[in-house]
Amino acid sequence: MLEFRDVTVTLGGVRVLRDVSFLINTSDTVALIGANGAGKTTTLRSIMGFTHMTGEIRFLREDITKLPPAKRPGLGIGYAAEDRRLFSAFTVEENILMPAQVARLTAQETTRRLGRVYTILPELKEMAGRPAGSVSGGQGKMVALGRALMIGTRLIMLDEPFQGLAPALARRYAEALRTLRDHDPDVTLIITESNPGLLRRFADRALVVERGEMREGSLAEDAPDPLHPASPATTP
Amino acid sequence: MNLQLFALAFFDGIAYAALVFLVAVGLTLIFGVLRVLNVAHGSFYAMGAYATASTVGAIVAAGYSPWLAFPMMIIASALIGGLIGGPVEKLLLRRIYDMEEVLQILVTFAVFMILEDVQRLVWGVQPYFESSALMVLGTVDVLGITYTAYQLILLPVVAILVLVGLRIFLRHTLSGKLILAVTEDREAATAIGVNVDRVYLVTFVVGASLAAFGGALASATTSVIPGMGADMIVLSFAVVATAGLGRIEGAAITALLIGLGRSFAVYLAPELDVLVPYLIMLAVLLVRPEGLFGMAHTRKI
Repeated sequence: MLEFRDVTVTLGGVRVLRDVSFLINTSDTVALIGANGAGKTTTLRSIMGFTHMTGEIRFLREDITKLPPAKRPGLGIGYAAEDRRLFSAFTVEENILMPAQVARLTAQETTRRLGRVYTILPELKEMAGRPAGSVSGGQGKMVALGRALMIGTRLIMLDEPFQGLAPALARRYAEALRTLRDHDPDVTLIITESNPGLLRRFADRALVVERGEMREGSLAEDAPDPLHPASPATTP
Repeated sequence: MNLQLFALAFFDGIAYAALVFLVAVGLTLIFGVLRVLNVAHGSFYAMGAYATASTVGAIVAAGYSPWLAFPMMIIASALIGGLIGGPVEKLLLRRIYDMEEVLQILVTFAVFMILEDVQRLVWGVQPYFESSALMVLGTVDVLGITYTAYQLILLPVVAILVLVGLRIFLRHTLSGKLILAVTEDREAATAIGVNVDRVYLVTFVVGASLAAFGGALASATTSVIPGMGADMIVLSFAVVATAGLGRIEGAAITALLIGLGRSFAVYLAPELDVLVPYLIMLAVLLVRPEGLFGMAHTRKI
């Protein structure tokens, strides 16, 4: 459903991605693994149209390389950036609803999608009326996930979602992702992470970015899972 | 200073502040969203004044009701904002958003110079004076002073309505919410499907129309002359810088502060009246460099 063909991205004279090609299938959960600065975020930002790139990106067999960035969420792509980037002038629920308003969804469809968000992240319902500027960093990540879910009906991209989360919140976040998987088996998920152990439990494939190049990787069995240090590794 | 003189200075200050606010709020709105300090903003003020004075003059001369001056002000402002402001953003400013700030200011200064010459070309250099709107509302007596209802009541009421209307527009309409979202984080807004180019255009047209509306309202109280745009842009910069760039409510309070400061100076120390707005700005920025209502880091880079 998503394909990179020889994608090269240069930022400030540095080639951040070099001739990257890969194919992701519908309903895959892909862990995009790599050290800081390896090019994980750049990969996601290229899918959103935020980088100057050469090569080709295809989504659902269509070439979206030249598609304006603002039109990409309309294809069913939800993106939660690493820094949560909520709109502090609005409440939590207004933040979550905004993609639906921008896409001019019907009231019925908006309610249905909001219901989906609250099923996966029930804690958001409790803080719906709070100003988005007042939520903690961890809660903000949940809200950002909710907002991405609102528009991401086909592909959801989460950039370092566990970064900076307290262990309890990280476990809760992982649980929400599993609920999403059960609820929406067809949606494709791309999650970037520098610690592969974190994603072993629910990712079914790993792509490794190293110095701007991408290769297939494995979610190594021996990589420690910081969220479940005592339990043995299992596949989802 | 006796009570009557005090009241007179106070009324002058309020009326003047209302006009300055309309121009400054447009400037601060544009800066908040586009992050471009728009020197050409003064031209929209002047063109709003010229367009209103000339059309109202023609309407009254043709024997139509002077009350038509009021709808004419709104129409002229919207036309200047849309027909001049729209193309300026779409054809010119859109190309310079990623450039250095100093280049952006130079480009908007060039637009200002071009529009100054356009004004001379269209309206000549003779002053226009068209006060039908001022006359038709008559005068009111307050504290033994006879003052025009237009300046004492209409201008402050319009300024308050614009402030409240702008707040409702930004908080409770989708277009307004999108403007706030883009102001806070352009990329995050794009990631939820917001067409940032369109938001920029709408914001610029609204901001330019507000400046033109300030000029339209001012045209009834003063002669419309070449150079009036330059005077106003400098004063608006003082208001916006004192308030903190991008702060709408702050611009209203600061316009009042500077408007009153200037009008009291006219009565108490006339030699300082031009200087007072800048002295206020200097005093504020020395203590709070981010402005009275500004935040030190309003935007992440």
